Amino acid sequence: MHELGVVIEVVKTVEEFVRANGLSTVDTIVLQIGELSSMIPKYIEDCFPVAVSETMLEATKLRIEVLPGNARCTSCGKVYGVLANEGRCPACGARGGELLSGKEFLIKEIVAC
Amino acid sequence: MNTFRVLEIKKSVYEGNDARAAALRAELKRRGLFLLNLMSSPGAGKTTTLLRTIDALGAELRMGVLEADLDSDVDARAIAPRGVKVIQLHSGGMCHLDADMTRQGLEGLGTEGLDLVVLENIGNLICTADFDTGASRNAMILSVPEGDDKPLKYPHMFSVVDAVLVNKIDAMDFFDFDLEKFTKRVRELNPRARIMPISAKTGEGIAAWAEWLRAEVRGWKEA
Repeated sequence: MHELGVVIEVVKTVEEFVRANGLSTVDTIVLQIGELSSMIPKYIEDCFPVAVSETMLEATKLRIEVLPGNARCTSCGKVYGVLANEGRCPACGARGGELLSGKEFLIKEIVAC
Repeated sequence: MNTFRVLEIKKSVYEGNDARAAALRAELKRRGLFLLNLMSSPGAGKTTTLLRTIDALGAELRMGVLEADLDSDVDARAIAPRGVKVIQLHSGGMCHLDADMTRQGLEGLGTEGLDLVVLENIGNLICTADFDTGASRNAMILSVPEGDDKPLKYPHMFSVVDAVLVNKIDAMDFFDFDLEKFTKRVRELNPRARIMPISAKTGEGIAAWAEWLRAEVRGWKEA
């Protein structure tokens, strides 16, 4: 379980953004997590309340969007879902395509005033 | 009353650590200090390999060791009699080290006059690969009993390293480890990594590993 450290990093980044933009209240934080990243959404949700405790984000809600892991086959060019096809191109069978998405761990946006 | 609105941030959570790691790496480069980040599963033989490495290079390179673990100091105790500088870092339950923890470790160790510091990262093939420590080079150890299928299961680790040591080759007869298959699987993920079979127990292959490391340290100091 390594999520707590990165969630604390999220909290720091959002706090900085709030200060830099003269905001006062953050209603929601929206994270985007690639399905091939080593972050598990369920664990992120579990440790979020701990990470925001005694910060300006104590009452802030968390929303997570999962981004698909897609790759483009370097042999035939087909774009395919990495997890569903176990990393192998379903059209020609080649492994190790060029990864297009799925490793992300982004703070997408916040709803704030 | 103010109304709530959506404000786009679009910032990677790793960005902060990546920037701090790049800064640390640039600083080490300026000082001519080479930092090797050594990763593996628990029990793959990091500490034994490190002892062999110290024996092979200790006379020509001034070495230091950062031992990272969740708890205990058994690894630091194993290293200390070799006469190299060593410090034990406790990650407090975290399963990887990041750039800040590495910097603190280096400061705690004291790197004045050292050529090479080896960071023995926490035994874990998953998130240690996600967090750049600021190291000059990254190496990993995969031991024969773990199986030749590990590149398929932990692809990220195998794709970020500069060197892969295949340890415990003295036990090859007892396991169904296919070195050729393993090499092919690593190559699909990482065409540039050096793959070196070793036995930290018997010393086989250590000379080639020491030679690789020596050349990397020299290149780092000169370039």
